[in-house]
Amino acid sequence: MCPFCGLGCDDLTIEEEPPSTLTVRSTDCPVAREGYSRTTAAEPPRVAGIPVPLEEAVEAAAAVLAAAQTPLVAGLGTDVDGARAALALAERLGAVVDHALSDGLYRNLAVLQRTGWIATTLAELRNRCDLLLVAGPDPAALHPRLFERWVAPAPALQTPPSREVVFLCGEPLDSTRAALSGLSVTVLAGDSARVGDAAASLAAALADPSRASGTASIAAGDIAALAERLAKARYAVVAWAAAAFDGTHADLTVERLVQLVRDINRHTRCAGLPLAGHDNVVGVNQVCTWRFGVPLRTSLAGGAPLHDPHRFAWARYAAVADAVIWVSAFRPEVPAFPAEQTVIALAPPGTAFVDEPAVFIPVGTPGIDHSAHVFRSDTVVALRARGLIDRGLPDGASVLKAIAAALPEEAPAC
Amino acid sequence: MLTKLAGGRVYDPANGRDGAVGDLFVRDGRIVADPGPGAAPDEVHDLSGRVVMAGAIDIHSHIAGGKVNIARLLMAEEHRAAAEEPCGCRGLATPSTHATGCRYAQMGYTAAFEPAMLPSNARHAHLEMADIPLIDTGGYLVLGNDDLLLELLASGAGEAAVADYVGFMLNATRSLAVKAVNPGGINAFKYNQRRLDVDENGPFHAITPRRILTALAGAVQRLGIPHPLHLHGFNLGVPGNVEATLDSIAAVDGLRLHLTHVQFHAYGAEGDRKFSSAAARVAEAVNRRPNISVDVGQIMFGQTVTASADTMAQMNNAGLAHPKKWVMMDIECDAGCGVVPFRYRDKAFVNALQWAIGLELFLLIEDPWRIFLTTDHPNGAPFTSYPELIRLLMDRDYRLARMAELHPALPEHTILGALTREYSLGEIATMTRAAPARILGLTDRGHLGPGAVADITVYTDRPDRRAMFEKPDLVFKDGRLIVRDGVVVAFLQGRTHVVEPAYDPTIESWMARRFDERMGQRLTHFRIAEEEIRGGNGLIRHACQPGSF
Repeated sequence: MCPFCGLGCDDLTIEEEPPSTLTVRSTDCPVAREGYSRTTAAEPPRVAGIPVPLEEAVEAAAAVLAAAQTPLVAGLGTDVDGARAALALAERLGAVVDHALSDGLYRNLAVLQRTGWIATTLAELRNRCDLLLVAGPDPAALHPRLFERWVAPAPALQTPPSREVVFLCGEPLDSTRAALSGLSVTVLAGDSARVGDAAASLAAALADPSRASGTASIAAGDIAALAERLAKARYAVVAWAAAAFDGTHADLTVERLVQLVRDINRHTRCAGLPLAGHDNVVGVNQVCTWRFGVPLRTSLAGGAPLHDPHRFAWARYAAVADAVIWVSAFRPEVPAFPAEQTVIALAPPGTAFVDEPAVFIPVGTPGIDHSAHVFRSDTVVALRARGLIDRGLPDGASVLKAIAAALPEEAPAC
Repeated sequence: MLTKLAGGRVYDPANGRDGAVGDLFVRDGRIVADPGPGAAPDEVHDLSGRVVMAGAIDIHSHIAGGKVNIARLLMAEEHRAAAEEPCGCRGLATPSTHATGCRYAQMGYTAAFEPAMLPSNARHAHLEMADIPLIDTGGYLVLGNDDLLLELLASGAGEAAVADYVGFMLNATRSLAVKAVNPGGINAFKYNQRRLDVDENGPFHAITPRRILTALAGAVQRLGIPHPLHLHGFNLGVPGNVEATLDSIAAVDGLRLHLTHVQFHAYGAEGDRKFSSAAARVAEAVNRRPNISVDVGQIMFGQTVTASADTMAQMNNAGLAHPKKWVMMDIECDAGCGVVPFRYRDKAFVNALQWAIGLELFLLIEDPWRIFLTTDHPNGAPFTSYPELIRLLMDRDYRLARMAELHPALPEHTILGALTREYSLGEIATMTRAAPARILGLTDRGHLGPGAVADITVYTDRPDRRAMFEKPDLVFKDGRLIVRDGVVVAFLQGRTHVVEPAYDPTIESWMARRFDERMGQRLTHFRIAEEEIRGGNGLIRHACQPGSF
């Protein structure tokens, strides 16, 4: 069960060559191959660059955090248990919480919170969709096996079991074309920055295709034809990966797509498929939402959780935080923080740092070193990825719990 | 450790106690028989004059899972407003897991059950329920719109195969009961059908809702699952839907059936407003048939959010959203979810009549063992409004006073004003403790006899029943004091209640093939392992007795 991109592929063949080298044999998916290849041998934690036992690193982290006034608990590339532990720690500290990859997620959530939407899940796409409209850049760049696993098989629950795929304001990758070789594929390449305009034109043309106007470098005739196909589809799906949208207000692009889906539903069925989900961002957001009643980008500093997707985006808050605990259990990457900032990093062994963090604790990768729950991109399906090897690394959750336990005692509130 | 709860007035309907003064003894988390005069309790609570009941059990409350999280996201305004209060977690329609556990415990509840766990979302629901502190939980599995079941039925499979399928699904998803939501309707909506009659073939599998309903009720009986089929019926919220409700009762032909949030399904289409109470007809049918039980789904006035698997009904209601935003989802070839924020207004005729219909049902259905106190949290109102609801049931003067404040046309459309019944403390104890435990098959809960888990609530007997039930003096969970005077004083983790009916596993190879061909997930990965539930320390299994009903 591959935990990395949020598609939840559970058909992988992975071979282990001792000591601890994993190779994916069954697919050439670059995300799976890279994710499983990162099995550098365990290394000891470091405090100020000096190797120390785990207990000492935990004490050092707790000391830093106990003294912090405006801590940030972020990155949060971790499984459900890791998220629980990180959020509990953040609650103790009165910290701000966010996930490294929440930008794409927030383009979607902003629209969900403003207007709501009509959405679907991957098995509905696979079994019922007769017309897939892919809006914007090809999501396969982020979710490589999307088309192979969820679009290429014929829909089992639709008569006749036919499917066509249209790319709007984006071109399919070569691998996507190959995966869809048996299907009717239409490419309206257009201007990828203007996919929202194209959606608005389509919505306007639904009622009367003869009044369609060209937009985003797509001819009026093509808009009219597509609008007609959407209106005649039995179950159309509009898919997008918001992380790939350009521009500072990409949520408005999402909003137009959502509005298009809603309009099509006045006559036939149509549903959106907002794709996100690398490093379990969807799962961590779920855990945060059920534990605090509000999603990520929340401050726990003042009693009741305060959610503000602008103020509490980690990249913005990092500028005022006086201590950062960064969790990146899925990948050996930690962003560069200002040199004067105190950083505690929980990441795989071999992570390269621009500046050595105050405390570095190597942790195992969910689904490689330990069993883990992660969420699929469609937010509905939680998956369990089993551990494959033992490098002797602690999991993120136990390190975070140990740090919380090392903080000064404090009574829980109701 | 031996604890003595001395001299309280004990309401324990399962053991025939109706307010008689007596002592209770607790050892190692369970109630034990009086150990005799020689025993020296380590702890004694003097409960003279207090009212003692088992911990309350909510049989229908949407406390966890995907739709609950969507509701939280959609209701960001209420959380933002709450963040400005000193303790901003009281009375929310979409409380966090933490607040859910705390508010329930503070009201004397020690268990609440999520009644709509979708198969594909079951793992999520369990992960979330494990984060609800203090109370026991469990989930009812939503079936009846899953393409796999409909395909099985369409293939002409017999009762045994259907029961095997249901048996596998309950085991795999670690569920306590079977829920059917608008059987066939959610599936039909995926094919753009906005209505489906009980005897109309669905669009793809060509199976009627009646067939699905009877097949599931039969499977539940055959597997010996303690809880009857938990049915969210047809045409939710539509005037005139009482006919379909009565038809459902007739369709199961003597099999046990639980009609949930029946208030939303007890509407006539008569009168000048083409919307009328059909509570008397439903109550009459329930009173006559001991195989039928109901929970009410009372509405209370104010802002809430409705969350349901019933996309067909929710899509019809989406235009009424307040605030004006809503979410629909088609889910994983097994169901859907519709989340629509809603504000029930006491000056609106329809909402006032809904309120009255719920109360009519409570007062007209005679047997408190077969009617349950619910608001279908959060659909009718947040569960935190139970104390107010109890007061409405126990205090006729209060009820009439509230009624007088509502829409002026209400009195001529409801018989509520003429209903003199007032629930007794014993009936409340039945409806909120003994009966829920019995109808779910929780043999060692909901009562205070020796061997029962020591989930106990102690109240001061106040004439204002709302005040009384809002803030118990003491709440014990597993024998530990968790709430004193309305304040949580200790945290502990609840358990997850499940059934594991026996079934013929040969069904699994057929299912595995379908999973491989369609679901993009292997059947072995779909199945939830025991160690995934509360880290392996949380399951409580309840016995199934095939053919015993």
